[in-house]
Amino acid sequence: MNTKTFSPYVPRPVTLVEKTRLSDFVTRFTFEQDNGKPLAHKPGQFVNLSVYGVGEAPFSISSPPRRTQNTFEIAVRKIGVVTSAMHNLEPGAKVGIRGPYGTSFPVMKFVGKDVLIVAGGLGYIPLRSLLFYQLRHREEFGRMVLMVGTREPKERIFVDEIAELAKSGDVEVLETVDMPDETWKGNVGVITTLLPMVKDLDPSSTYVSMVGPPIMYRFVIAECRKRGIASDQIFVSLERKMKCGLGKCGHCQINELNTCIDGPVFCYTDIEAYQEAI
Amino acid sequence: MTTYTVYKEQLPELFGKWSEEYSLYVPAKLREGFYDLVAWKPGLEIAWDFDVAYNSPKRFLFPPREALITFDRRTCEAKPVFEAPPQILFGVHPYDVKAINQLDQLLEGGAPDQNYVRRREATVIMAYEPLTVSSTAFWASVGAGTVAHGFDLYWTKIGPAAFTVEVGSAKGEELLSLCGGLVPATAGDKEGARRARARVQFRARKNSLRYNWEETPRLLAKCWDSPLWRRYSQMCLACGSCNLVCPTCYCFDIRDEVDDQLGEGVRYREWDGCMLEGFAKVAGNHNFRPKAQDRYRHRYFRKGKYIYDKIGELGCVGCGRCVRACTAGIANPLKVFNELWEETAHEH
Repeated sequence: MNTKTFSPYVPRPVTLVEKTRLSDFVTRFTFEQDNGKPLAHKPGQFVNLSVYGVGEAPFSISSPPRRTQNTFEIAVRKIGVVTSAMHNLEPGAKVGIRGPYGTSFPVMKFVGKDVLIVAGGLGYIPLRSLLFYQLRHREEFGRMVLMVGTREPKERIFVDEIAELAKSGDVEVLETVDMPDETWKGNVGVITTLLPMVKDLDPSSTYVSMVGPPIMYRFVIAECRKRGIASDQIFVSLERKMKCGLGKCGHCQINELNTCIDGPVFCYTDIEAYQEAI
Repeated sequence: MTTYTVYKEQLPELFGKWSEEYSLYVPAKLREGFYDLVAWKPGLEIAWDFDVAYNSPKRFLFPPREALITFDRRTCEAKPVFEAPPQILFGVHPYDVKAINQLDQLLEGGAPDQNYVRRREATVIMAYEPLTVSSTAFWASVGAGTVAHGFDLYWTKIGPAAFTVEVGSAKGEELLSLCGGLVPATAGDKEGARRARARVQFRARKNSLRYNWEETPRLLAKCWDSPLWRRYSQMCLACGSCNLVCPTCYCFDIRDEVDDQLGEGVRYREWDGCMLEGFAKVAGNHNFRPKAQDRYRHRYFRKGKYIYDKIGELGCVGCGRCVRACTAGIANPLKVFNELWEETAHEH
């Protein structure tokens, strides 16, 4: 690194290679690093992605770490200026990224343990990175349970992928929607209603990873605690507005923590006392 | 370190020499009661008795708007932008030196902010012992009345036409000796400086915290749910003035701007403020600090606890600028901390 010209604010170029529609608003983007190197991220980390001229925004990496490929995926809901601009990109387009930044899910802690993955809404996107990383080393882990909660059936994402996972038998998949329509035949209710359906859960050896909308955490954590899972076995990834990714700009502060460097993945024990966290 | 005696009549020549290579900023009166550091030019009257520069010196090291990179939209190439004009800040009061020391620690620590680092390296700080104290200042009671480092030279006015100058760095000594013939300060001059300092320190204690400032983080830890936050914040206009004038506030936003051909552009950072309504808002409009009360409390916690927990110093240097800048009259760290102290008095 040449410190004479190095600036942490300079993104490096990546090229969009594939764009897949996941729902009315959510699209998966596959990018390729122009430098030919793998992204070398850990499950749960994020990148700051620049659509030049529009702006920069943080996105969780959705693909598991890849050692031999220089591609990575993110999935994005069209909701603001940067995400709208991203939806206008076509394969071949270039954007800039900085990162990967932040903490990751402590996969080594999960080795030999049962794993519960709780994905609310778009929370499946970052958890996918963890899930597929663990599936690649399936024999290292005990029982694996995936819980997916969505508001409406039409907002479900990665539908085929999740169905396939359920079929594979590697993961027990439980799914629910809050507001069913006539096509929906599965569980109805918020995601917390799924937890009692997990039979023979061994709280002492179950590790929970969860990502979802802010409102979800409080309830799912309470439910986990009720089942006897200790708070140091619960890991959450929190959303904040990470602007700089370097712990400087102040936007992502949770009390004195900077979500961009101290998070986004936190052990629940470490944030229990922070009033602003959950 | 060495201390020299310098006479007022030497200054025009020194200033002239310095301004050949540096942008030189000195304190001047803008209008009655308003002082600031302004660009020096021959003949400019220096406000030796200024109480506080209404705008903090952070703007010289961390400008309100600063380019970080330039980019080409078509090729997606990006290059860093570094601007670091050599500059001398003459007349920085100790509490502001303290604030700069804090910015050094916070911005150069972790992943160093190269833009700040470069500007800081190109800046010479000439501290200056205040002669008067702003009516809203309370720096003496928050441990910001004196500084041991962070300056290149430390000027103390010991008479109508004389100063002692304590050397803080080799760079400072070199600049001072540009016009030759340095006179070491006599014991009498040093005593004069000591007295000048004692005099102003005494006056600065008029506004004081009612407890030892090192207690602040422990005090705040007990006050998350205090009714004070709502009482004050209900009048908050969310204008961010307190953030702007604060010498230790450094939060920023990052934005893009493109030329009229939609080809090349600049990504710049701009001062942001935690008191502004959308500061903690994320995509989809979820606001993690939706109420004025949340934002108001966050600011005081940051000054009194979060920064302290990181670097062992209060994030407030007691300059009193926010007190003057606040239109609603609610920004007053001294009042807030003292009232919280009283509120919890039964626990002490």
